[in-house]
Amino acid sequence: MTSPKSKAGSTGQGFNVGHFILLLVIVVVCVFPFYWMVTTSFKEQGAILSSTPQIIFRPTLGNYTTAFQKFDIGASLINSLIVALSTTAISLILGAPAAYAIARFEFKGKRDLWFWFISNRMISPIVVALPFFLIARQFHLLDTQLVLILIYLTFNVPIVVWICADQFRNIPKELDEAATLEGYNSFAIFWRIALPLAAPGIAVSAIFSFIFSWNELLYALVLTRTNAKTAPVVATSFLSGYELPWGQIMATGTLVALPVIIFSIIVSRQLVRGLTMGAIK
Amino acid sequence: MSVDKSKRTYSTGAFFFLAPAVAVLLAVGIFPLIFAVGVSFHQFLLPKVHWHGNFLGVWPIYDAPLSWFQNYISIFQDDSFRDALSRTFLFLIIVLPCELVLGLAIALLLHKPGNELLKKICRVALVIPMATTFAVVGLMGRLMFDANYGILNYLWSLIFRSRPNWLADPNLAFFSISIMEVWQWTPFCALVLFSSLTMVPLEIEEAAKLETAKWWQILWRVQLPFLLPGITAILILRTADILKLFDVVYIMTKGGPGSATELISLFVQRIGFRAFDQGIASAQAIVLLIIATLLSRFYIKFVYKEI
Amino acid sequence: MSKLFCTLCAGITFSCLGLSVAEAWSLEEAAKDYKGTEIKVIFLDRPGYRATIKMLPEFEQKTGIKVAYEIVPYESTREKEVLDFSAQGDLTIALVDLVWLGEFAESGWIVPIDELQKKFANLTDPDLDLNDFFPLLLNAFGTWNNTVYGLPFDNYSGLLYYNKEMLKQAGFDKPPETWDDLLNVYGPKLTKGGKYAFALQSRRGETQSCDSFMRFIWPWGGSLLDAKFKPNLMSAKDQEGLDFRQKLEKIMPPGIVDFDHNEAVNALAQGQVAMITEWSAFYSTLADPKTSKIVNDLGIAPEPKGPDGRKPALGGFSLAVTTQADDKKKGAAWLFIEWVTSKAKAKEYVENGGVSGRQSTYQDKDFVAKYPFVSPMVESWKQGVPEFRPRFPEWPQLSEIIAEWGTKMMDGQTTVKQGSEEIDKRVQDVLKKAGYYDGKKTLAQ
Repeated sequence: MTSPKSKAGSTGQGFNVGHFILLLVIVVVCVFPFYWMVTTSFKEQGAILSSTPQIIFRPTLGNYTTAFQKFDIGASLINSLIVALSTTAISLILGAPAAYAIARFEFKGKRDLWFWFISNRMISPIVVALPFFLIARQFHLLDTQLVLILIYLTFNVPIVVWICADQFRNIPKELDEAATLEGYNSFAIFWRIALPLAAPGIAVSAIFSFIFSWNELLYALVLTRTNAKTAPVVATSFLSGYELPWGQIMATGTLVALPVIIFSIIVSRQLVRGLTMGAIK
Repeated sequence: MSVDKSKRTYSTGAFFFLAPAVAVLLAVGIFPLIFAVGVSFHQFLLPKVHWHGNFLGVWPIYDAPLSWFQNYISIFQDDSFRDALSRTFLFLIIVLPCELVLGLAIALLLHKPGNELLKKICRVALVIPMATTFAVVGLMGRLMFDANYGILNYLWSLIFRSRPNWLADPNLAFFSISIMEVWQWTPFCALVLFSSLTMVPLEIEEAAKLETAKWWQILWRVQLPFLLPGITAILILRTADILKLFDVVYIMTKGGPGSATELISLFVQRIGFRAFDQGIASAQAIVLLIIATLLSRFYIKFVYKEI
Repeated sequence: MSKLFCTLCAGITFSCLGLSVAEAWSLEEAAKDYKGTEIKVIFLDRPGYRATIKMLPEFEQKTGIKVAYEIVPYESTREKEVLDFSAQGDLTIALVDLVWLGEFAESGWIVPIDELQKKFANLTDPDLDLNDFFPLLLNAFGTWNNTVYGLPFDNYSGLLYYNKEMLKQAGFDKPPETWDDLLNVYGPKLTKGGKYAFALQSRRGETQSCDSFMRFIWPWGGSLLDAKFKPNLMSAKDQEGLDFRQKLEKIMPPGIVDFDHNEAVNALAQGQVAMITEWSAFYSTLADPKTSKIVNDLGIAPEPKGPDGRKPALGGFSLAVTTQADDKKKGAAWLFIEWVTSKAKAKEYVENGGVSGRQSTYQDKDFVAKYPFVSPMVESWKQGVPEFRPRFPEWPQLSEIIAEWGTKMMDGQTTVKQGSEEIDKRVQDVLKKAGYYDGKKTLAQ
């Protein structure tokens, strides 16, 4: 494969204890809070509030039944899934060609265009929430999945452009030239040659699109009511200023976080090669 | 555009590749932004504003009095805004280097040969923090840092025989939200930098290893140039996101105690959606957008090196 | 068979209603033209709303009106409602926290009851009887500038919850009568061995401004604003109350400034503190063996008195019809609001976990005996301050200011005096900007 400079495997060094321990520490630190959330979701409130943490306890499924019955987390998970998958797909369809153009073509104002893409991510949702609300009401889009999908594009297309542009740039130019000689037009080159080679980058930008749209809270809070409520909105419905039923909160938290974690783990192999990010100077 | 012929064919091609993305981003994104800029020049208290239909069926017409730059002037005279902004920069200055250094360390560990299976597990584990819903991270933080039943405090008390009140003490609360931010985003840095490390041509790295055995010399001379684009990207992305950081902090501390953890986005939210002074909130958000843009330009200019 | 039973039941209820209401007014009859109308309202995830949701099927079945409720966390309720109202959205009923009343009324978002009664004369229950509501509640939760807009729906009072066993072991057979006793007599004896006499929820937010800060203003004879609406915190009485709050810290657990309702209630429920002052709605949490270890030792009393009397914390929500709704929805909404706050439904509401604001509900002694929080609560509602927190549109802004500086005072980032000066300065700015000082605006709070 021409996939450049990917590192050959181990050079056959032996077992290194220090290295092992450090890696283990990283794994533990990353996983522990998540582990703690999951175990808490199986505890009764009494066990959670005890001042010496209960490592061994009688697990209960009660928190999950409440999460499904009272908060209808099932419906909101489906909403989130629809919104996140659609946004991811559309972001890729729009972003990957744009990234390719930025990586491969020369034109005036390219750098500014790249920067404009990126700067779409810097806009604070707090201030555009009101205009989005007004316009959504105007077009009768309040409380629909469509409005969330459209808005999420504004911060996911930039990510796709960013990650993919770098991937396309790493593909040797000679390949394009060879293909041109064989009579490929630029669209065919993009589709048949560049895209397959940039697959890791596409995968990684898909992960991040998915993560960012799945986790978005502020727009979802303002623009949804009941029908299009997403999972993070449900996760915050406990901020009633009143009680904190930790078991139920953590059960909901687990249910909200689990799909995106599973999705990410499935594609995490691509993270190694796909996550090079640069800038267009 | 006056370019030579071959270049022009290149740019016409580019048009078709770019047009869909640009069109959609403009269609969806530009209206709210222009609207917000417009609002920032008005005395715009939401409950007092009335709507009078739409211009061309899209642009809402409102009756807020025009106040020109009054909102911008008043935010620069506002101590609380300045405090929140400097607090956010303090946060940025503490958190970003931590994430970069720890991220680089993890990337180097992953890059080092040996323990292949554990490295694989580690790469999967690194995905977990950044995939966890931000709001849920805030809830986790609140549960784990609780003074009475928080697991972190329990572990702390085993070692140091004291139970500090993490979220009740101004400095510790600031520290606590920093920890959660570092926990969530260090893995992202690690993965970006690890990817960058795999870009270093093997031959060059091997040659350098023959010359010196000190890892930091290899890092400085051979690997760093390949890391700089990734570092720039991290700086831009995290700066933009920290200026917008809301969910985690709001859920953990609501900006308290006092204003110890009131980052700028919490402050703007309070003006925009508690006081509903959208005029001032818009002006503040636009100032933030300008700051984020300038910082990004700065990073690109001074950190980024084309390989 | 069961169908027959249902019809029988319905018949009985119907005839009971017919008996209690002298005239032939009935909900079904009134709602005839409103079948199929959908009304929208925001609910919270709290006991009173859960009780209503349980009762809803009956209303929907009788009237054919569909009540679409959306459950929203308290924190984002006002944000959602203000956005909806200012953009002429689709909410038919406004859920009005007493501190939002001024804002909603002055912005013209909610309809006065008078108007509804005139407009929908045949929809108005002859037994509406506004005088049956506790005057304090109707005044505080529903009345702005002498006009009634909303009917009290989800009603709270601050109460003193205590652990009888802990008090007994320290040699007390009853709870403290005054704040002074709580601090100086009960405090020292109950604060020892890792346990504390008292906990006061003080986390930044409405918890700090309402539950913690304002609680130490009124009972000391102080007030937030003086008669001319100038901030009044530097007055001797206000300062005395706020200084007193600082002194309480020595009988409270460390880190009190991060205690929200949840932490305070838990501290009592787990036996770590002996007393808390909390809302009446927490009774169910404290009396539930699943969440509380002190179910059998739970004592309830009115809040302690300050130098100027009891003046306990007051909070609650009313329901009002929105102006943005069309006439059909207005009518349907008015019917629902009447029904859910009616005398006839009050006991059922209480049995399902709600707290009715109607005096007649609590006249039945046997009924009251089942709910130990009722008599101290009724006692509290006899002598409250409607403007415990000012209800004008500027309160949310003041609340943010107080929440920030109030927590700073408590954890020593500033002194009481400096903090009060800062709050006064900022409050004055807000009120000046709102136009209270140039004589054009009525000084209503």
